[in-house]
Amino acid sequence: MNMASTSMNDVIARWTSRAMLGICIFFTVLILALLILVTGYLVSIGFKSISWSFFTEVPGGDPEHPGGMRNAIEGTAILVGLAGIVGIPMGMLAGIYLAEYSTGSRLATPVRFISDVLAGVPSIVVGILGYELLVVPLGSYNGWAGALALAFIMIPIVARTTEEMLLLVPNSYREASIALGATKARTILQVVVPSATGSIITGVMLAIARVAGETAPLLFTALGSRLLTRNPNLPFPSLTVQIFAYATGPYEPFKRQAWAGILVLISLIFVLNLVIRYVTRGRRA
Amino acid sequence: MLALLKKTALAVAVLGSSVALGQVRLQGAGATFPEPLYKKWVTAYQAKSSQVMIDYQGIGSGGGIKGITEKTVDFAGSDAPLSKSELEALGGADKVVQIPSTAGGIVPAYNLPGITTELKFSGEVLADIYLGKIASWNDAKIKELNPDVNLPATAITPAWRTDGSGTNYVWTNYLATQSEEFKGSVGTGKAVKWPVGQGGKGNPGVAAIVQQTPGAIGYIEQAYADQNKIFYGSVKNKNGQFVKASPAAVSVAGAGAVEMMKGSVIAADIWNQPGDQAYPIASFTYLIVYKDLGNVKSKEQAAALVDFLKWAVHDGQQLSSELDYAPLAAGVQAKVDAAIATISYKGSALAQR
Amino acid sequence: MSQSSSDALGAAVAIPAVLGYKSPQSRPQRRFAFRVNSDTLLQGAALMGALCILLMLASLLAVLFYAALPAIRNFGFGFLVSTEWRPNELEQPKRGPDGKILIQDGETVMETMPPAFGALPVIYGTAVSSALSLLFAVPLSLGAALFLIRAAPRFMKGPVSFLIEFLAAIPSIAYGIWGLFVLAPFLQQYVEPKLKTMLDPVPGMHWMFQSEVMVGAHAIMRPLSLTGRDMFGGSLVLAIMIIPIITAISRDVLNQVPRAQIEGSVALGATWWQSSKEMLKFSRSGLFGAVMLGLARAAGETMAVTMVIGNNNQIVPSPFAPAQTMSSLLANEFAEASTTLHRAALCEVALILLLMSLIFNVVARWLVVGKNSRAGATH
Repeated sequence: MNMASTSMNDVIARWTSRAMLGICIFFTVLILALLILVTGYLVSIGFKSISWSFFTEVPGGDPEHPGGMRNAIEGTAILVGLAGIVGIPMGMLAGIYLAEYSTGSRLATPVRFISDVLAGVPSIVVGILGYELLVVPLGSYNGWAGALALAFIMIPIVARTTEEMLLLVPNSYREASIALGATKARTILQVVVPSATGSIITGVMLAIARVAGETAPLLFTALGSRLLTRNPNLPFPSLTVQIFAYATGPYEPFKRQAWAGILVLISLIFVLNLVIRYVTRGRRA
Repeated sequence: MLALLKKTALAVAVLGSSVALGQVRLQGAGATFPEPLYKKWVTAYQAKSSQVMIDYQGIGSGGGIKGITEKTVDFAGSDAPLSKSELEALGGADKVVQIPSTAGGIVPAYNLPGITTELKFSGEVLADIYLGKIASWNDAKIKELNPDVNLPATAITPAWRTDGSGTNYVWTNYLATQSEEFKGSVGTGKAVKWPVGQGGKGNPGVAAIVQQTPGAIGYIEQAYADQNKIFYGSVKNKNGQFVKASPAAVSVAGAGAVEMMKGSVIAADIWNQPGDQAYPIASFTYLIVYKDLGNVKSKEQAAALVDFLKWAVHDGQQLSSELDYAPLAAGVQAKVDAAIATISYKGSALAQR
Repeated sequence: MSQSSSDALGAAVAIPAVLGYKSPQSRPQRRFAFRVNSDTLLQGAALMGALCILLMLASLLAVLFYAALPAIRNFGFGFLVSTEWRPNELEQPKRGPDGKILIQDGETVMETMPPAFGALPVIYGTAVSSALSLLFAVPLSLGAALFLIRAAPRFMKGPVSFLIEFLAAIPSIAYGIWGLFVLAPFLQQYVEPKLKTMLDPVPGMHWMFQSEVMVGAHAIMRPLSLTGRDMFGGSLVLAIMIIPIITAISRDVLNQVPRAQIEGSVALGATWWQSSKEMLKFSRSGLFGAVMLGLARAAGETMAVTMVIGNNNQIVPSPFAPAQTMSSLLANEFAEASTTLHRAALCEVALILLLMSLIFNVVARWLVVGKNSRAGATH
């Protein structure tokens, strides 16, 4: 009697287990199918919409002459570049601090924590900060404000990845360098950082991938422009903002440009992710 | 190390100035109502004066006025004339020049698959739709105006503007003349609170919602409906006639405008005007600049801005009707010319080119 | 004094140094008479980088608070609970205490109501859209993470992980454009009408397909027009966006569970599901943190939501009504807000959004990072 009920429970448990495993497999397949459906659709329609003139022309004056998005592609490149000039060194310095100078510092824990938290701040809020700090005082929507907002998003990402990557460098390197009479600064700059360069580049690329696709922080800072603009004192074009404007409008020819723009963005992020994967291979579970 | 920093600084500076060499750039922003026309103007003007680059960002009239007030743009576009408080913020009526650049009609555009006859609307019905009182297309009030159309029972999705918009301003003011209830519960303004429906950004955003949503209705400038082949109806005017928007019908509505423009203010509200042929939801759209262009960077730039304004209100008018905007009448044009002549740069009059 | 000057100098030296630029050793220091220790320099520079991060958060809070001040002064606490968001002045007939319209000398007495700003509709919109998206995303993500850790064949783990990380990195505007042109029309044509025919006749479900509209003083009920651009559509897009994130972090969290923990229970005869339950229970705080990170992302997400949620600034109980979130309100109105009060009100919304996301993130990090020494957040 007792035996029977136990084995009955066993059977139920086994079947529940199988059912749950089935559900987990189903969920995984569902997620992958859904996501492949989304990206597959975006990529295929993007390929249908893209053309050479997309890269070489600026937007035309009316729907019959949609032109291309050269200004926006260059604009995004310049904005990300400007953001990187500020954001990457700043982030790396903070990362170096966390990894190399934080022992016994009361600052380390809050800095580490806040940079994690900053990475999760809604990007539109950062856009408003850029507006208040650089648009209102300079008297114009401008590229600098956009770059500042992007740098703001970059710094915490670069800081945390730099720290993580520096911590992976074996301590014996540091000890050996110090033993040879090098100063701490020399040790860090010429031994520790170089041996983690590959991984730090990963963090930098992660940050680039993240900000290149940002739209919200640019809406009230760089604003956008239909012209080929290289002067960051002026309203500045960017791929994402232009895609947003085109996608929410009624014009078919401009919508096609938006699809093509999405394809460019997705390809960029795919390539960056592949590189990251390659650099960090063997280090992940 | 200092050399590297210098190099970076230099590179940024070169990057910045490479475009500026011998070129003048003007930045405008504001109303989306005239944006299709302004884009055409910019292209045509650039063909004539290749050294001048003009960028116009359609961000809504409210954004344009905010931009000119904070001096973030060189010129602003707005469909609503500056209000008293906005003028004060700009430094007073004698500090700014506000000129009508063209006129156009705001059309009730809709998406009803299968309905190919053009619908008729009245101001009261449109107000009730936007108040939420009329919920479906086969409502008795719509049927009454369109007895011959087999209207479906589709629910109505009113589409409206989320941004500060001159089109909103004109539309709400017109509806307020048609319905006391509308005036009391939605009111008038560039940004209002709509009781029902969906919001889109700018004229393009509203046009896109109408395009994508069976059962939707939206108010957009005629050019957006024409360019995207969206159906729109005729509207009952003050004389009780159903008129479809067209440059001619908008011009009739604007016929009395010159008399309404009193003193130095070249602005007139031309909705709900008398005349059998007058389109009832018509509006001027305005360009706003400072009377003294001390806000722009150089005299060259100021001169270019004045030249563009002059070109726009004369040569540019020919392009207006191509896109179904109504060109300015001669009387209005004369007033505009006089206003443009008063624009100066840091106290010195700008050369009459 | 000397400390601070060497900090500033440190920054200038360290930046090119970090970028791999070495100044020629032979050149003597001409500009600076005093000799600066390179250790002090780098330490100073690094400290500056660290302080910069603290400064960033401080400036975010300070600037937003300052910009929101006019609204905070004007509306006080009422801002959080008021449902009215009306940027225009309204002229209304004045009503007496009995609710009747006042008439004086044969004319209706009018009163002007100033613009009103209340954040409750957007707080509600953000809360409900995030909660719904979690409802869709969490079971799927946890199931997939469990499968990847405990059942997936080795050859699958790498590619699937890569795919999920790649999808987590796709910008939100791409998901937004997909939502707008693919998901919303699909919901509008097929899903929502079908749900309506199925659910509407069910007693107690009618509220899902109608909304109450106030016209003047009286309310009328009207059927909702199903457009696909509504709370439901917005939440689905959000769910699709946060699935890769929650999956990736949960996978990392589950990966931290000590092998012995699981092997022990398997050895005792536990089934796959029983031992998996053990595993979930063991890492529940980390998993909760993963969910919180997803929540933080969903609550702050702007572009995709703005494109799909319908942008109606009202509280309507039905999930098939257009809604508005804090971030979509900002995207829609900030650039055009022309009055001081309107802009300040938007800044206050931004401040609330920031504080909310800070809370979510702090709780999440505390749960994910606090328990394990390792940082769990991947992007």
